[in-house]
Amino acid sequence: MQNRRAMLLPFSSQYPRPCNPLRAPLPWLLLLLAVLVAVLLAVVQAVLLAMLMTFGLASAHAAGASKPSSSLLVLDTALRAHGAGASFPTAAPATTVSLPDEWAHTRGGQDGPAWYRVELPRAGSPDDDGLYALFIEHVCSNLEVYVNGERVHSGGRMSPPYTNNCNHPQLVSLPSAMLNRDSNTLDIKVVGHALVEVGSRQRAGALSALVVGPQSELAAHHARLTALQVIAPQAVGATLLLMGSFMFVLGFMNRRESHLAYFGALSVGWALVDMRLWLRDIPLGHSETEFLVGAMLGFITWAAVQFLLRYAGMRYRLVDVLLPLQCALLSVTLVVAGPQHLYTLASVWYGVLALEVMAASAWHLHHQHQRRHVRSVWVMAVLLGLALVAGVTEFLAQWTGTRPLAAHVAQLVMPVVFVLVGLRLVQQQGRALSHAVQDKAVLEQRVREATAEIERNFHQMAELRVEQVTERERKRIAADLHDDLGAKLLTIVHTSDSERISTLAREALEEMRLSVRGLTGRPVRLADALGDWRAEVVSRLAQAGIEGEWEAPEDLPQTLSARAYVQTTRILREATSNIIKHSRATNCIVTASISDGDFLFVVQDNGDGIAPDTKGSLDRGHGLASMKNRAKQLNGQCLVESGPGYGTVIRLTLPLDTAIQPS
Amino acid sequence: MRACRLADTIGTDNGSHSPMKTILLLEDLPEIRAWMRKLVLQVFPGATISESARVHDAIDLVTAVKFDLALIDLGLPDGSGVNVVTKLRDCQPDAQSVVVTIHDDDEHLFPALQAGAFGYILKEQPRELITEQLQRISQGEPSLSPSIARRVMAYFQAKSKPASQANAMPAVNLTDRESEVLLRVAKGYTLPEIGVQLGLSRHTIADYVKQIYRKLNVSSRAEAALEAQRLGLFR
Repeated sequence: MQNRRAMLLPFSSQYPRPCNPLRAPLPWLLLLLAVLVAVLLAVVQAVLLAMLMTFGLASAHAAGASKPSSSLLVLDTALRAHGAGASFPTAAPATTVSLPDEWAHTRGGQDGPAWYRVELPRAGSPDDDGLYALFIEHVCSNLEVYVNGERVHSGGRMSPPYTNNCNHPQLVSLPSAMLNRDSNTLDIKVVGHALVEVGSRQRAGALSALVVGPQSELAAHHARLTALQVIAPQAVGATLLLMGSFMFVLGFMNRRESHLAYFGALSVGWALVDMRLWLRDIPLGHSETEFLVGAMLGFITWAAVQFLLRYAGMRYRLVDVLLPLQCALLSVTLVVAGPQHLYTLASVWYGVLALEVMAASAWHLHHQHQRRHVRSVWVMAVLLGLALVAGVTEFLAQWTGTRPLAAHVAQLVMPVVFVLVGLRLVQQQGRALSHAVQDKAVLEQRVREATAEIERNFHQMAELRVEQVTERERKRIAADLHDDLGAKLLTIVHTSDSERISTLAREALEEMRLSVRGLTGRPVRLADALGDWRAEVVSRLAQAGIEGEWEAPEDLPQTLSARAYVQTTRILREATSNIIKHSRATNCIVTASISDGDFLFVVQDNGDGIAPDTKGSLDRGHGLASMKNRAKQLNGQCLVESGPGYGTVIRLTLPLDTAIQPS
Repeated sequence: MRACRLADTIGTDNGSHSPMKTILLLEDLPEIRAWMRKLVLQVFPGATISESARVHDAIDLVTAVKFDLALIDLGLPDGSGVNVVTKLRDCQPDAQSVVVTIHDDDEHLFPALQAGAFGYILKEQPRELITEQLQRISQGEPSLSPSIARRVMAYFQAKSKPASQANAMPAVNLTDRESEVLLRVAKGYTLPEIGVQLGLSRHTIADYVKQIYRKLNVSSRAEAALEAQRLGLFR
């Protein structure tokens, strides 16, 4: 028992342990996911708000464009001259240009400050509050506004690096104190960059048409446009930054989900590019900023392509190596080509990068389709399609003068798509997590079952082993008894001159054999036992010339314990011996039966019988007394009925519950 | 394994009913051996008796000398008498092996019977009984106890199960009459009683018992060969 305990311990202490590695990362992941979900909910809210604002704006803008309010004055021609001074260079040659004026078309490679002069006719109707304003939808990069030679507005730094106002619509108050009654001169100084120096047309120098009108009306318009072009992208960009960071950490901690890390990098990269909306005055030179943006796009492409491949469960060594190399090459070519060839080079690169992302998207969808991830294919196809439409729109918008509304919406769509993809990833992570929790529960259950099974088997094996050891020991004892005691008794049987001693030794030998048999403890079928007893009794009686009759039920299902079998055999053997030796009987009837839960043996002979007063004389050796004693040991009884001339009847009764064990 | 050197002498006229002329006596206790020798000489007067106290010596004798009868003890100092039974069955199929032992349990006796022993005698029995049993055996009437009968029945029943028939075992099965005799022995009926019950002569019943012993041996040998083949002992 002690040993079994000691051996069981390792099982019980080892088996629960494998669960622990499962348990450790879960709370951590849960916490992270909870935060992520909260952030994403905020993002969704922001996105929805932005969408609503966009829709509201779109209708307002459309309305404004189709039927301009009568009080608004749209100025679409201006006198342009070049000059870096603080006032319109009247000495320099001036040309009349139509607005919007894109420097890429109208000034060649020239990029110095340009002055625009328009004559304001008598402005608006003086019946309103008299506050007038100038609205400039698009100016790049920066401007200063002069009314009648007096500076009334500045967008920021007018010397390099210029403040970047390309996305910011400008609203300039025109103080009525400075306005003449009949005619006013409006001078606008614009600083910007030639097309060759920028990576994208939208950042090249340009001035849109000018709108003059009541400030209240223009302010509302300005606010809406600012919301669409600045605030909504800022909000989405900020959430993208936050979500991307979480995704990156999540993917970085769990290398098997590397696509999350790449998606995080993609989001963060995109958010960083959009940072220009927040930081209009970057303390870096123009060419450095353009370089950083270009390099960042290479990085974003790297992350995007890897995300699309890893998300579909693909990984290519070549791609792993080539994408960083491409980033490096992009940076190197940008540096080598210098700021004067930026636009051409960037256009080529953007084309290449866009093609790569599109190819990766197609490959991703194809692969997911082959893996039969139908739902994933649909979700990603829709989102990638949206991104493609947005990209194409933005690309086309490059060639259409000042940026149309669609370009602004498209610019907003891209990060929104990223946020939606992020949501989808979080949903999948969440589902995987809940599956993991379920799997873990199942696994723990299995481990418990396996442990129980092992312990059960161990018990069985221990019991089996005890049985085996017992059996082996029994065989050893039996062999010893036969070899030593048996051989000596046998020698006495066949060498003794005295018949009595021979008989005693023979009986001792038979007793020894029975004792060995009793050691087995193996139950004996009652039917088999009756067969053995019959063979022995009948053949012994026949040898002694006594007619034997045997009556017993056949095919009894019960079993006898080894002990009961051995003791009953001894009693029967003794009874038979007595009949043969002393009774002088000629006939003997043995009846076996089962009644009232008792096993009954009746041995009846027609011999001399035993006189009551000399009952003990029959009891040679152990005789009757030992027969009765053996019966008592089995909780039964052995009765002897006899009288001179009446023969002898021996009734042996054994209760079934102790003598006969049910099978 | 020592080779049999008697192969050419096998087949000489030596029917089971002819008197036993050469007898092997394998017994390790000197007193018992001497006593047995006297007894055997009384039953088979004029027989040549070769005595041996060890399995090793007995196997040597079996490969060199031709025997009509071998009385073999089971528990010997250098091994089990079953090996001698097997060797004798291999070298001299016509010789009769009889196990003479102190063990009455089928665990000891059954392997010897499977190996080809033709009956068994319990050593401690009175002289007259042993004499009678020896005479019976020499006349082809071996004894059969209920427990051995049950064991033989169980053996053939297990063999006839479909699962073990797939082993391509040579089919050695008991006839209905043989099974009937076995069943009655198992129930404790004596052979003469069974003869009366089935309306058969004592000789016919004895022949059935002989057949049962023979089939047990044949089937066991086939089984052993198959098992050896399975273990790769023969290639």
